Amino acid sequence: MSGVVAKARVEKAGMTNLYHSKTAQWAVYAVFFVAVGVVPLITSDSFLLNQFAVYGVYAMLAVSISLGWGFGGILNLGQGIAFGLAAYGMGMTMQMQSQDPVSSPIPPFMLNNSLDHLPALWVPFSNTTLGIILALAVPTLFYVIFGTLVFAARVSGPFIAIMTLAVLSALNTLIIDMQPYTNGVNGLTPPSPLKLFGADIDPYGATSYWIVFGLLVLTTCGAKLLTQSKFGLVTQALRGDPERVRFLGYNVAVYETVIYAISGFIAAVAGCCFVMLVQYVSPAQLDTNFSIGMVIWVGIGGRFSLIGSIIGALMIQGGQSYLGDQFLNSWLLVLGGFFILVVRFLPKGLAGLLETVLGMVGTRRRSSPLPQAAGAADMPSQ
Amino acid sequence: MGVLEIHHLSKNFGGTQVINDFSLKITELTLCCLVGPNGAGKTTTMDLISGRQKPSSGQIVFRNDDITGLGEHEIARRGIGRKFQVPAVFRDLSVRHNLEVAFSRETNPFRNMMHRKPKGLREKLDEVLQLTGLGSRLETEAGVLSHGETQWLEIGMVLMQNPSILLLDEPVAGMTESEIENTIKIFNRLKKTNTLIVVEHDMAFVREIADVVTVMHMGSLLAQGTIGEVEADPRVRDVYLGDPED
Repeated sequence: MSGVVAKARVEKAGMTNLYHSKTAQWAVYAVFFVAVGVVPLITSDSFLLNQFAVYGVYAMLAVSISLGWGFGGILNLGQGIAFGLAAYGMGMTMQMQSQDPVSSPIPPFMLNNSLDHLPALWVPFSNTTLGIILALAVPTLFYVIFGTLVFAARVSGPFIAIMTLAVLSALNTLIIDMQPYTNGVNGLTPPSPLKLFGADIDPYGATSYWIVFGLLVLTTCGAKLLTQSKFGLVTQALRGDPERVRFLGYNVAVYETVIYAISGFIAAVAGCCFVMLVQYVSPAQLDTNFSIGMVIWVGIGGRFSLIGSIIGALMIQGGQSYLGDQFLNSWLLVLGGFFILVVRFLPKGLAGLLETVLGMVGTRRRSSPLPQAAGAADMPSQ
Repeated sequence: MGVLEIHHLSKNFGGTQVINDFSLKITELTLCCLVGPNGAGKTTTMDLISGRQKPSSGQIVFRNDDITGLGEHEIARRGIGRKFQVPAVFRDLSVRHNLEVAFSRETNPFRNMMHRKPKGLREKLDEVLQLTGLGSRLETEAGVLSHGETQWLEIGMVLMQNPSILLLDEPVAGMTESEIENTIKIFNRLKKTNTLIVVEHDMAFVREIADVVTVMHMGSLLAQGTIGEVEADPRVRDVYLGDPED
């Protein structure tokens, strides 16, 4: 009995791959977040600060996709549903903040569309707290309901991808069609920044950067803890074989719905932050290209790694901002080619490449004549 | 009184009668081998008990509870564990994680978010490792295990569930002689504390482990008894075992 345990320990020591060490993983998170966190102390370029904060939003989206796809096996091509709905909720809240109940009770674009009073849909957004709660709750609830229906029917794999894409596309069309309520293709452009607790949150200031940064740290670490819990282990098991998980006594549909809804909630947080930063929301946030783009970031960065997915998002979006100008129209070709290369040669993305490299380093160290390595070599032969 | 009772079970797939008025009683702490020619309905019977398929008619009673037609996870929670014909382990997870997932005392997703190492896991893990001898492979990815080890891992996963009944579909298929011998030892230890139903073709293996042998043919019960009685039965020799004189 104790022999078995001792043997297990030796084997564990022998199998060291730094990539799988939880301490090393959290250390990488700490370094990353400290590096990102000091940006406002280094630069006072408000344009740059705003752009980096928007990257923070993309990073949150990458975390949400990695959680659902990498850890839950749900290939979601419609994350714009949660992102877009939340963005509209936030846009409506900010729009109502700049309306005056007496002198201008309804947004100007509604007057142009011959509405003479505020539609019921908009009324709750007159209250900032309620508006933000709704912006987060409505998409999450939508994911809970959609997830319950789809996962209880045991829809999986590519069919989920098609259905999420179809819903996203339908929602996009719906928002464009509801011109009097949404201002159609033009979207909402709240004239003034978000006011929280009586203060303006300047989208180009350090405060808004810190808000996004704080939420990114919270959502990423929360997601990381989730993947390390028993819950996360069950979702990683059902990613490979949902059928088998059922026979262990877990209700697979419930697990899938929960991780899908959590992923949606994180995307909703990202949606709110986005509108706070750019003071603008339009059907472009529910564009299918954008949602598929998120999956590409995560595929390239490595969907089994939250931080890898974040790096993927930063690389692609950063590349688009800086290299996109040089490549102009051929940027999409460059991106597509890169994606094909990664899928073909690095199915686990760049994070998978790191895992392989660290694994090789670990093996080389083991094959050198260390006493521990010699012990490990003797043991398994029984 | 049987721990598991099957009453007049029938199942047809689009007009083809696969299980035909099949009844069976399993006594506590026995190992019952289910044998029969290909297409006799052995695996289908396992599927019907574990909820993978719903019976066309008939009743399955487990510890005086009617479990006919319940969902797979509900049946599993009541204490019926299942190992599949083609070993089904989580190939991209380590052996340790495979066994941890299978430790399913707590199935509520929200409560499972709160802890990493549930109570009782360590003891159960040690117990299962001791039985299956997979201790040296704990951190290995399950996908790279040998065929025999994969079979043992899946048996270990079923044991982690702490089931009252284990349904094991062809547990020694594809194993080497020495691996089979090891498995015989495991099973003879298991049947002291568990009730087992084993589907198996290997009659030498059946002879070593079975308390009761149930022979199925064309979806019905053909014969039941000790291995000696069954092997002496001319009907069984006719449809399944063949005549030893040949």
